[in-house]
Amino acid sequence: MITFKNIHKSFGDNQVLKGINCTIPTGSVTVILGPSGSGKTTLLRSINFLEKADRGEIILDDLHINVEKASKAEIHKIRQHTAMVFQMYNLFTNKTALENVMEGLTIVKKLPKHEAKEQALFYLEKVGLVNKADAYPHELSGGQQQRIGIARALALNPDVILFDEPTSALDPELVGEVLEVMQTVVQEVNSTMLVVTHEINFAREVADNIIFMDHGVIVEQGPPEEILSNPKEERTKQFLSRYISFNEYDI
Amino acid sequence: MNIIIEPYILMEIFYKLVRYVPVTLAIAVTSMLLASILGILVMVIRMKKVPVLSPIADLYVLLGRALPTMIVLYIVFFALPIILMVFSESTGKKFDFNQIPAVTFAIIGLTLSTGAYLAEIFRAAVQSVEKGQMEAALSIGMTWWQGFYRIILRQAAVFAMPLMANQFLNLIKNTSIAFMITVMELFGAANVLSASNNRYLEVYVVVALLYWGTSITFEKIFLVIEDKLAFFKKGIKQ
Repeated sequence: MITFKNIHKSFGDNQVLKGINCTIPTGSVTVILGPSGSGKTTLLRSINFLEKADRGEIILDDLHINVEKASKAEIHKIRQHTAMVFQMYNLFTNKTALENVMEGLTIVKKLPKHEAKEQALFYLEKVGLVNKADAYPHELSGGQQQRIGIARALALNPDVILFDEPTSALDPELVGEVLEVMQTVVQEVNSTMLVVTHEINFAREVADNIIFMDHGVIVEQGPPEEILSNPKEERTKQFLSRYISFNEYDI
Repeated sequence: MNIIIEPYILMEIFYKLVRYVPVTLAIAVTSMLLASILGILVMVIRMKKVPVLSPIADLYVLLGRALPTMIVLYIVFFALPIILMVFSESTGKKFDFNQIPAVTFAIIGLTLSTGAYLAEIFRAAVQSVEKGQMEAALSIGMTWWQGFYRIILRQAAVFAMPLMANQFLNLIKNTSIAFMITVMELFGAANVLSASNNRYLEVYVVVALLYWGTSITFEKIFLVIEDKLAFFKKGIKQ
């Protein structure tokens, strides 16, 4: 379970998060929607302290962190319980696909090499890229790189996986393969998943819960059928109407 | 007497001077290794903004690049023993700093001078690595140091190599000023030899060839290293 208590964050004069309070149940899939600049990515990145929020509390199971006073040890600990899939994939460019997945297992989890390799191959299999195990990132397409990124996150068997717009940088034709992998992952893995995305259909199909953010606050949250089909807040309706009609027009 | 340069004399001079190439190289290579360590330290201190040390590192980089190498060498050779002497007297232990060979001071001076440049080269190299690489390392639970050592440094090395090669070639040539503080290296030996046999032209032609040959050799070595470090930019792993 992740709980945010009154999370605030500013970049200079720009207030990005204005007091976020919410709870994400263990094992659930939560999708965060919202227009650009609404603070959803910042919120996601504040969980593993890639972005340090200014104040508030982050609670991950029995780990209570007061953001202001967060110690190095606490930050390190929460990072060991979470994993992230990045918008720009961020695969280690000096390592092969297999080594990318193994890195966390050997260095962080301290598994012996052969065991780490076995596990890494298992997760590469899961994302359908065992045949690319020895390829370097620059030899892979965006979609393949992102699938390796997902395998890297899964291999750590984290309590929480954070997806930061995993399909936004992809060619439209490659979005499908990544979403497909994510869908199977959702069914097979017990980790809590927090997904920032613009893929409304993905949200509709796999999310247990949707959070709609705008201007640094949570406008509305609830199960997908409620938020997507029957939103209460004017701002949510406005956002979705543009989005959904745009998508239909696109098809 | 129409021949300006006599081949036989050239050969003789060559044999006399070539034995000083290892001296020059030893100074250059030692200074380079020490300067690399110093450069990395300074770069990390500045990057992590370590309190107290960081402003000192800033000042060092500023001065190290602003002062002519020869002046750094003079300061180290003439001033350092005095400072050390005062320091050792105040602690009660006597040590004769005149016993330290001049080459030690040459290496210290060249290290200080080169380290400042390398610190900047390393900073540029590390900044050339995408920010997301460190974020990814941290996100999978690595510490900053693990990420820095295992991911960032290795990618930065590819960027830094050609610049380091430049710096090293400069350093080889800069060892010639070590003669100013009495170190008998290639250039110093050439000066002494030409003063004794008055064959200035021949001696300096030979010395130029020796510097040239050494530099070319190291240029090639650095190219090979660069190629090896960039293994991940090439095709499928063999």
